[in-house]
Order: sequence, then structure tokens, then C-alpha cells
Amino acid sequence: MSFIDVFRARWRAYREPGYIYGDEFDGARRDYAEFDYAWTMTIDLDRCTGCEACVTACQAENNIPIVGEAAFAKGRQMQWIRIERYWEGEYPNIKLGFIPMMCQHCDSAPCETVCPVSATYHNQDGLNAQVYNRCIGTRSCAVYCPYEVRYFNYNSHVWDAPLGEQLNPDVSVREKGVMEKCTFCIQRIRQAKDQAKDDGRRRVRDGEVQPACVQTCPAEALIFGDRKDPESRVSISMNDPRAYRVLEELNTDPSVIYLKKVADDAG
Amino acid sequence: MATNAVGLFHAPSTALVAAGELKGAGFARPSLMSPVPIEGVEEVLGKKRSAIKNFTFFGAVFGGIFGFALAAGTAVLYLHPTGGRPIITIPPFLIITYEMTILFGILATVLGFFVSARFPAIRERVYVPETAVDKFAVTVVCEDDDIFRRAETILRDAGAEEVRKVTEDGG
Amino acid sequence: MPADDRNISYADVNRDVVRSLVETGRAYYITLATAITLTLVFFFFPWFYQLFYGLGASGINHPSVWGTYLASFIFWIGLSHSGTLLSCVLHITNSPWRKAMYRSAEAMTLFSLIVAATMVMVHLGRPWFIHWAVPYPNQMELWPNFRSPLLFDVMAITTYLTGSTIFIYMGTIPDFAAVRDRTSGWRHHMYVLLSLGWRGTDTEWHRLGWAYTFLAVLIIPLAVSVHSIVSWDFALSIVPAFHQTIFAPYFVVGAIYSGTAGIVTVMFMLRKYMGFSRYITELHFDNLGKLLLVLSLIWTYINVLELFTAWFSGTSTEYEALTYKLFGYYAWLYWEMILFCALAPLLLISTRFRSSFVPMLILSIAINIGMYTERFLIVGTSLSRQYLPDAWGVYVPSLVELSILAGTLALFVTMFLVFVKIFPSVSIYEVKETLPEPQPESETGVPEWQPTQ
Repeated sequence: MSFIDVFRARWRAYREPGYIYGDEFDGARRDYAEFDYAWTMTIDLDRCTGCEACVTACQAENNIPIVGEAAFAKGRQMQWIRIERYWEGEYPNIKLGFIPMMCQHCDSAPCETVCPVSATYHNQDGLNAQVYNRCIGTRSCAVYCPYEVRYFNYNSHVWDAPLGEQLNPDVSVREKGVMEKCTFCIQRIRQAKDQAKDDGRRRVRDGEVQPACVQTCPAEALIFGDRKDPESRVSISMNDPRAYRVLEELNTDPSVIYLKKVADDAG
Repeated sequence: MATNAVGLFHAPSTALVAAGELKGAGFARPSLMSPVPIEGVEEVLGKKRSAIKNFTFFGAVFGGIFGFALAAGTAVLYLHPTGGRPIITIPPFLIITYEMTILFGILATVLGFFVSARFPAIRERVYVPETAVDKFAVTVVCEDDDIFRRAETILRDAGAEEVRKVTEDGG
Repeated sequence: MPADDRNISYADVNRDVVRSLVETGRAYYITLATAITLTLVFFFFPWFYQLFYGLGASGINHPSVWGTYLASFIFWIGLSHSGTLLSCVLHITNSPWRKAMYRSAEAMTLFSLIVAATMVMVHLGRPWFIHWAVPYPNQMELWPNFRSPLLFDVMAITTYLTGSTIFIYMGTIPDFAAVRDRTSGWRHHMYVLLSLGWRGTDTEWHRLGWAYTFLAVLIIPLAVSVHSIVSWDFALSIVPAFHQTIFAPYFVVGAIYSGTAGIVTVMFMLRKYMGFSRYITELHFDNLGKLLLVLSLIWTYINVLELFTAWFSGTSTEYEALTYKLFGYYAWLYWEMILFCALAPLLLISTRFRSSFVPMLILSIAINIGMYTERFLIVGTSLSRQYLPDAWGVYVPSLVELSILAGTLALFVTMFLVFVKIFPSVSIYEVKETLPEPQPESETGVPEWQPTQ
């Protein structure tokens, strides 16, 4: 192809919203449906008991600091997944609802465009990746996120002995001034992909990789997998008629789908 | 090396008239020095064209191209999509282009000013300190004493308070 | 222009300005020392504490991750719109009353921008990496993200800072030449360098006039774009109270408004303490007062628009944010802002009020307090009430933040105090343009002025 044709093809490709694999680029464009994997999680709100085992598991897996009661009261909590509690109705007909809220890994994430140093971006697995080394702490991503799932390190943290023994060596410890958030346990995903490559397989099998929260949930309310695979548990569960996404009207295209039965006589 | 005749006036109008007379008498273009810009210089001494607007224009054009090239070029150097947007997004890059247009327009204007006013003055040139306060001066180059005396006559007739002979240092 | 019964001659202007530069009494040194001490105590020490401890020293929390640092940043950028923008607009429209005050107003712009840049560094979580936001070729082969509104900020503020510096310098070249002849020692050498050998020939004046006009024409759209871009840090998000198209005009109008009030304050100080009472008169305050009145009416109108559109929506998140702003935790601040910025400036309808110096000073300070409150409300209340009720919070600034806020004022005053002794703070040649032509020498036949060389 002549230089003009190559230039035109590349220009067209760069103008389409989508992901282009650097080495395999040949002037063709691929759109977001063609990720390597498209990691998705479904959360069945009718099963969630609000026990917060997922919160604890996440803290254990991802070296999340324990900020202490005083900091928590000041509003400086550090939990990559939080359980939101909503009350409906009056006594004695109170209904309590729980929504586990973590980074939704939106395909049109508002947080990604605003980082001035590109510390957050969308990777080829459809995950919203946060690069701790690059973050300079402007906190604009936290402002732009409508789900409020980004958390900031207000100071450097200490793990009193012997809690330091519990730290996960696969995950870094973040210093002060850096943003962090749920990563869908990207270290486990990477490990599973590496294992698949070593075994000579091309794809990670369904159920082989589970983030800490999914692994721990006693009610099995969380299902995780690759929605590109039509036979994975998560793809089947996505097609449940109870499915909805939080703040869908904002067009963020989140990768977390919630299942909730809304009764006909709901208020 | 050049000798200058310098006439000091208290009002810009008289200085302008004197400059016109000197020009009419055949002297090389006289120069006016003043504490404030004088109105009506162009009518008497001839129109000046400044090249500054060319500097500004080409500076702004360069800035515009540079701005878009910076934004789009660096975006394709390391491809990472953000927020479902294309790699080369037009509205944000237009803002970068706009700012760089103005930045380089400004810088080019300053450069144009320095070049066209032949500024900063490196050689020692004719300077009349009183013109920084409240006097208006007319200076004209005189090759020899006769010409200087002619210039002096014209200046005094036009109402100069004082006429000086100032030598401009060369080199 | 009113008939000049002040009897100022050209030589008087030179003399007064040089005197303002050279004569420094004890009062000046005491003020400067106080300003420097206050800057160190209230700005730098708390900031170093925060650098050491982390942003936990401030009051920010989840979800209000932006606090007074960003509100101060917007406030100081807003103040910067006073000088240069106003000066350029008034230059293009050939306003004579601008002549005496625009130099100090442009200096205000410059120092406001510098203070705003320091606020960015205070605001960052890891400010030692702030250079990553600047495009430069580096070993990591990484460039900043030009799609980000914060990068628009970086580009715009760099351009504005460069443009303002160049603009104020170019306008001062003839004045440096004027004061270089009457000063000696280190000042003389400094002015020789700064004036670049300006002689005042007609060629130089002609070129300077054109260059200055081109700069003014370039800077006006630049200044409008700078604060629009700052507003887009907010408006390009999807936070309910931020995501409004009115933000760009709102911020620009607010900036010119608070900037003009800032000019009134600075003009009062210059008049009183630098001996410029003959040059800065009731006329200037009257005209600034009229401008303030118009701006306050436009600002009130935009506020009413915001309220109306949020109310009209009925039950949206914007409506929730609106009721929170008006009747929630920060309600007292909202009504104080309305009092200072919408109601009090109605006093400017009276000409007598506009021409009196101390009432204008008090009103200008009140307007700026109200405008700071507006910035704080925009940042603080909007982030406290977003889409998910579980994530609502309350933001209270900490002592470190309030101290740094006071420190920025001390920093600004320090820079300004140094400025008035180095730069001629009233433009000599422009003031002369408003005076009648100089008369022939006095009866004694002795020229009024002798060069000291």
C-alpha cells in the first residue's frame, strides 16, 4: 500500500472508538466487542445477605490498608468493594437492600479521559486499569466517577506486626497520594492467563479465575467470567430478566450487572 | 561616526512642523523622539509599514499546526484508549490547537517587534534624556558642519528651545 | 476626560513614579517583613507538613476529594482575569480612564496566576511528579493525556502566564527607559537591561503600538478561553451539579467580576500608600463601580438560570443538589454569597457610593469574600451529593487548609510589595497622554529637570 493509503487507513482506525493491538495492526479496526477477554461480573442482589465477607476478602487479597476508626469516621474509608444499604418502608414492614458496589469497569469510563498523566486507561481485557506509579494524585478520576468507587490514599499506611506477614506479594503496596480501586483482582487474571499459555491452551477456562470477593461469597451471589464466551456462567446469568446496570442512563457501559427482582407492589 | 543635529521642542506640534520642514529641505528622514507617541507622524514623514503582522500571522499558523501535531502525534505514539473515545479526538485536540495558536502568535509578535524596531539597541545610538520627561526632539543626520548649520537654522526657525550636536558612536 | 485642574506636568509624573520606586520608608520594610513572615508561617510551613504527612492533613474525604485548594485555584485564576483582560479590552476600545491603573492591574494578573500555580502543587497528591503533566520528551516515552480537561488547563494557563508576562513587560519598556535616567546604582543597571535601549523614536513608538495592539487582540480570546477551560474541569464530568453548559460563561463572568473587585481593592491601596492620589481619582472608582454593577447583574442572572433549570426538572439529581445547596448543611454559606455578590452590589446604583473610596473598598472585599464562597460551594456541595445516596458525605476544611488559604493572600501581597518597588506601578507615558501638552519652560528659564548621569 502506498503511504497515502496507509495514512488514510490509520487515520480512520484512530478515529474509531476502539482498541487497536499495536503489533497486529494491519490497517483494520477492531471495536470494543473484540477484546481479548471481556471480564464481567454479575451480582445477584436477591442472594446478597450483606455479610461483607467480600469486603474482608478483598482487603486480604489486595493489601488494602486498615485506616482505623478515626479516619473512617472522617470519611476516609478504604474499601475497594463496599456494601451499600438501603432501607425501604416503615416498621414493621422494613425491607433492607444491599448493593455491593465496586469499580464497574465501564467501557465508556468517565474517569479514564480526565487523568492528565494517563494513569488510568482501558486495557485489552476490557478492564479499567490503574497505574499506581504514574498517578500524581489530582483525584479528578474520583470526581468524574459517578459510582464513587475510587479511593485515595490520604497518608502512607502502616501494618502493625504481625499483619505485615499477611500481605499479598503479587500486589503492590500504594504510597500516599495515589488513587486505587477494584481491579477485578487483575493479579489473578494475569496468573490464569500465564497458566493457560504455559499449558499450551489459548483461552482461560470459565471458572478458572475468580476474584477474591467472588471466591469468598457464602451465598454465591457473585459470578465472574468472560462474556465473550457465550457458554460461561456469567453470560448465562447476564441474560436473566432481572438484570440491570446501576446508573445505566449515564451511558457508562459498566461491566457489572446486577440481578434484582422488583415486585409488582413495590413502592 | 555620524553627527546628528538634535532640536528640542516643548510641544509635539512644533516638533512635527520642524521635522516636516527638514524633510522638505532635503535631509534624510528625520527621527522624532518623544515621551509619548505623537499623533500625525505618518502624514508628515511618510507612511510606515510594519512587518509585525506577518510575524503574528505566521506564528499563529505555526502554533496551530504545532498544537494539533503535538496532541495527535503523542496520542498515536502509545495507543491506549480512554473512555470509549477514539485515539484522535477532535474537540479536545482543537482546544490544544487553539491555545498553541495564541501562544505562538504572541511569541511571534514579540519577535516581530524586536526585529522590525531593530531592538534591543546594541550599538550606542543618539539619545536625548530629556525626551523621557517632557521634551520632544527632532534628530537628523548631518554629514558635515555646513549641513549641520543649515539644519540648526531650520530648527531654530521652527521654534526649537535648544539645538545640540550629538555624535553617534559607531561600532 | 474632565478638565485637568490637578496641574500635573509631565515632569511631575516622572518624579512621582521614580519617587514611588526609590523612596522606601520604614513602614514599607515593616509591611514587607510582616508579609514574608506570614507567608512562611501560614503557607509554607503547613504545606511542608502536608507534603510530609500526605493529603490527610487537609479535610478532604470520600467523596469530597476536591476541597478548598481547588476552590482557591479557581479563585486566583478568576482574580487574574482582572488585569490583563480588562486592560486589553479597554485598550481596544480606547478608554482613557484605564491609563493610570492598568499597570498594577496587569501585575495583579501575573501574581494571581503564580499563586494559582502554587495552589495546583498544594492540591496534588504527589506534587513532585507534576512535571509529568507537561509535554516533554522523556525516557519513559510517555506523554500526557491531551484528551484530559486538566491538560487543557496546563496549556491554557501556561499560555496565559506567558502572554501576561510579555504583555506587561512590553508595555513597561518605555517606562523603564524613563526611570533608568533618574536612578543610580543597582537600580540603574537593572533598568538599563530591562529597557533594552529604548530611545522613544517614532519608529519605536509605531512598532510598539502595533505589537501592543496585536497582543491585546490575541489576549482577549485567550483570557476568555482560560477560565472557560478551568470551568470545563467541572463541566466535563457527570457530577449532577457540575455537568452544565452554563459553567463556561458562569466562570468567565464570575472571574471578571471578582477580578474587577480585586482591582478596586488594589487601587485603593496604591492611592493611599504609594502617593498616587493625583492619578487614581474618583473617576476611576466611578467607572470601575459601573463595571462591577453590570457584572454583578449578569452574575445574578446566571445564578437565577441555574436555579431555574434545576427546579424545573422536578425530581432529578440536579434538583436534589439544588435543595442541598440552598437548604442543606452549607445553606448559610449560600445565602451569605447571595448577600455579598447579588444584593450588596446594588448599592453601586448610587453615584455617590461609587465615587467614595472607603465604601468601594469595603464592597470590593465583600464581593471577593462572596466569590470565594461561590467557588467553595461549587466544589464542596456538588461533590457531597452525587448519584448514589450511600456515597453522600460532608466536607469541612481543616486548619491546614484554612491556613494555606490565608497564606496565599500573604504570598500575593508579598509579591505585589516587591513589584511596586521594582516596576513603575503607574504607567508614565500613558498618564502623560491624558495630560495637556507641556508648556514652555518657566519664567526663570531654567529647565525643570536635570539628568543625573
